[in-house]
Amino acid sequence: MSNEVIQMTDVSVAYNGTPVLDSINFSLDVGEFCYVIGRTGAGKSSFLKLIYKDVNPTKGLVKVADFDLSNLADKKIPYLRRRLGVVFQDFQLLPDRNVFDNVAFALRVTGQKKRFIKQRVIEVLGLVGLSHKRKAMPDDLSGGEKQRVVIARALANEPRLLLADEPTGNLDPEASASIMELLHQINNRGMSVLMVTHDYEVIRKFPNRTVQIENGSLQDIKVL
Amino acid sequence: MSVGYVLKEGFAGLGRARLAALTSMFSLFIAVLLIGVLFRLGYNAYEVTQMLNQQVEVEVFLDDMNSTDTQLMEERLMENSGITGLTYISKDSAAQVFQQEFGTGGEAIAELDFLPASFRLSISEEYSVAQVDSLVQEINTYEGVNEVRFNMALLQMIESRTETLFIVGGAIGIFILLVAMILVFNTIRLTIYAKRDLIKAMKLVGATNAFIRRPFLVEGVLQGIIAGGVAAGVIYSLFHWAIPYFMPQIGVLSWPFGRWYYLISGVVVLAIFLGWWGSRWAARKFIKDMGVSS
Repeated sequence: MSNEVIQMTDVSVAYNGTPVLDSINFSLDVGEFCYVIGRTGAGKSSFLKLIYKDVNPTKGLVKVADFDLSNLADKKIPYLRRRLGVVFQDFQLLPDRNVFDNVAFALRVTGQKKRFIKQRVIEVLGLVGLSHKRKAMPDDLSGGEKQRVVIARALANEPRLLLADEPTGNLDPEASASIMELLHQINNRGMSVLMVTHDYEVIRKFPNRTVQIENGSLQDIKVL
Repeated sequence: MSVGYVLKEGFAGLGRARLAALTSMFSLFIAVLLIGVLFRLGYNAYEVTQMLNQQVEVEVFLDDMNSTDTQLMEERLMENSGITGLTYISKDSAAQVFQQEFGTGGEAIAELDFLPASFRLSISEEYSVAQVDSLVQEINTYEGVNEVRFNMALLQMIESRTETLFIVGGAIGIFILLVAMILVFNTIRLTIYAKRDLIKAMKLVGATNAFIRRPFLVEGVLQGIIAGGVAAGVIYSLFHWAIPYFMPQIGVLSWPFGRWYYLISGVVVLAIFLGWWGSRWAARKFIKDMGVSS
């Protein structure tokens, strides 16, 4: 098994002939935490989509969690995604089922046994501090709590890598800080975290490796 | 794969996007109702033409001949595969028939004993007018046959009406089926579109496309059962109660193949098939093309 959970070599992405990412190189080690910053439209989301294979590179090599995405058949994409946890800014919780079922859903759709599902959901809800809210409906939760449920769902399948697309974007500073603490706690348990953000305050408060996407290229930077 | 989960989701899906599910069921209902009614009417019309066809008889008038020759003639006629039965009408019987048809006024003429003996032939329903005509030509050549008569105009009319009925009925049936398929496909696609967030979330956590499709197939089958059940109820009520009550003169027509449950179960099965097929078609296309990002 490679020590790198993500490996990109000379990767380009274009939409209808317009380049978004141009010959970028990037790698993320197992257990590493990395921020991705850049202006709106710079290609941050495309960068994440490359990793969970929602877009294909126009050229270059992408390897994620031991999957070679360049040759990955469409049928194999679900198996790649089971190795990733994805957290979006807009939560994407299912409003018609409670917290427990929202998390259990990730395990049910991958065909896990009922007993295991119950045990694992209780475990991850405990990890994000929401065991007591397992019967609550999403509409009854605060923004921070919703994001915790999404993180719990992302962790349910014990992924190797957590991708977070502006997870604090819709949250107040206090909830934001608590989500960042949770992400670092998860990272400390050995999981790699790749987080897209444009909140420099968050980066200053929780410093980690940071890469910037600008004009189609990607480079490591220091945020002061 | 959890069968329980797929069934539970399939049932729950009906309640989650109620309007889309109702639209889908309504299209299915209308489609199978029209096809069911059309089939029943078409079948009854076909039955009527068959009945009329059976009533067309060929009459073979004979020269004067003894009973042995009459027996030989009967055997010769029965050798033809198109003749399903025959009745011999002797000269005496012919006189009686004449008297019955003309009443007492015909007695004087009947006594003249000029009426010939004849055979009344029943012709196979599957025989076309041309075949009957050629049979008549052949019988005409038999020794001892004086004349062969049959109502060619009536037969031709029945044949042409049956043909028209099949062409028009078949075309309408195929048209309704095609429209129904497109309608069902589109409404089920709407149902699936209404659940795009659920599909995206499923894809995001690593559900396979086949797994995502399964609850939609269950839902499609359920919609088919409900729509087919309601359509079957309407068809049964229409032909069992409403038409015999309001139009008793045509209410005596039978159900296709003699039993009500053939058509009723056919309608339900067709609705289930359309629901399943529409969901499968729409789900395959839509789920495959859908990305996971907002």
